Amino acid sequence: MPQGAAAGEAAAAGAASPAAPPAHIEIDDLCQTFRRAGMVTQALDGVDLLVAPSELVVVVGPSGCGKSTLLRIAAGLLPFTSGRVRIGGRDVTGPQTELGIVFQSPVLLDWRNVLENVLIQVELRGMDPRRYRERAERLLADVGLGDFQDRRPRELSGGMRQRVAIVRALIHDPPLLMMDEPFGALDALTREQMRIDLEKLWLAQRHTLIFVTHGIAEAVALADRVVVMTPRPGRIERIIPIDLPRPRDKAAVTSARFTEYVDEITECFMRYGVIRY
Amino acid sequence: MTAPDLPAAAPPAGGSVPAWIRKRGGAIVIAIALLLLWEVGVRLLGIKEYLLPPPSRIWLEFAKRSGTVMGGAWVTTQEILGGYVLAVLVSIPFALAVTYSRFMENAVYPVVVFLQIVPKIAIAPLFIIWFGFGYTPKLLIVFLLSFFPIVVSSIAGFKAVDPEIMDFARTTGAGGWKLFARIRLPQALPDIFTGMKVGAALSATAAIVAEFVASDRGLGYLLLQYNGNLDTPMVFAVIFLLSFIGLAVYYTVEFIERITIPWHVSQTNAGQAPL
Repeated sequence: MPQGAAAGEAAAAGAASPAAPPAHIEIDDLCQTFRRAGMVTQALDGVDLLVAPSELVVVVGPSGCGKSTLLRIAAGLLPFTSGRVRIGGRDVTGPQTELGIVFQSPVLLDWRNVLENVLIQVELRGMDPRRYRERAERLLADVGLGDFQDRRPRELSGGMRQRVAIVRALIHDPPLLMMDEPFGALDALTREQMRIDLEKLWLAQRHTLIFVTHGIAEAVALADRVVVMTPRPGRIERIIPIDLPRPRDKAAVTSARFTEYVDEITECFMRYGVIRY
Repeated sequence: MTAPDLPAAAPPAGGSVPAWIRKRGGAIVIAIALLLLWEVGVRLLGIKEYLLPPPSRIWLEFAKRSGTVMGGAWVTTQEILGGYVLAVLVSIPFALAVTYSRFMENAVYPVVVFLQIVPKIAIAPLFIIWFGFGYTPKLLIVFLLSFFPIVVSSIAGFKAVDPEIMDFARTTGAGGWKLFARIRLPQALPDIFTGMKVGAALSATAAIVAEFVASDRGLGYLLLQYNGNLDTPMVFAVIFLLSFIGLAVYYTVEFIERITIPWHVSQTNAGQAPL
């Protein structure tokens, strides 16, 4: 981890001084192939993507299209075959530390209560958890978990656990957030509420946010721009700017415009045989 | 913002004494009933004492010769504790080495697994040749029997860390020691304790078998003596005593587990123990 130490220092400085400005992401001609049991699979094929600071970009695509791979490569958690990935102008060569990440599974620590699960983020970064306690409590209250700080993950519902995971990703005020199908394991109603709450958090903080999903309506409802990916080998089929007012309230997500965007993406997937009627 | 989507489960109830009686009361009543049935049955049917003595007779004989028996129990307890503690102290670092070192995993661990297939009881006579009649061969047999279950479950525990939690941890830039202390070790503790409980249950058996093979003291030695004299009440007394020692070791480990990992699900969901 070459940039681990430098990023650690930056993060420690960030605790005292104002947070780092939202980061931008530059991905040029990214290709990823991997071998498994003698078979060579091309996961990503020439992906170009620019994400502006404070932008909310949603990557949508069918299962196995490489959208999670793309996110992991950008986070420095996976190596790539060719191309270039930069965050905040710096090449990604190993795990990135100036970000918050959320996966489909909340991956909380069973032996820690909700507050301690949020604070593990700053503990692992070598920062003093006491200085973040107040912020953690405020963020937990913001997501409706104010009365649940002392509970263990097992005592929470799936949606509540994922809220804890989101607060854990936000606690150190990172310039960049990455979410890999964070609502994928939740029921439809919880999922919609989580989407609404995430938008509120994002509007308040304006981190750069890259969000991966296979839900078309979810993508349109959240995104500044939707990146539509093809089935494997993953390529970017098109990028659709979503011109809907924020916050995306009931009027916005039931508008004719919204439906047109959903139709456009659905037709994309129909052309690739991902959806057949 | 909005309220959470689902109400949380109630916190687990604390283990007060009345709750314990409510939970275990039935088992105690049944145990007493069985002893009564045994006593009355033996007397009514006139079963000979050397075949099946009544519980009262076992108790009286035990009380009469408790000095000898308790002395033997102390010897056996030392063998159990010595071998078991040694097994815990060796197996957990060994499991760590297998988890973190490719060489240990690929070269050393398979050999250990192979050696494990050798019936360890069969090695006992060999240990007598090597180490004589004293404490050492018994300790080693106890060690051998309890070592492997602890190693296997500890390795499983150390390796069972969710890859996504490690991905999250890598984005914090934290070093290996911190990841071990904050994530991998606590995550492994439930599995380590499972192995330790299996090892504890085996340790009493191991000590007795080792004493059967060759010894001049201990409960195993006494058991063979009493058996040879058809002193059946004392045979029963020794068997009861052995069971109590085994239970005591098991529950000591379980007690340590309870205070070390109170968050673990087998604690909160209650009632996985045999008693």
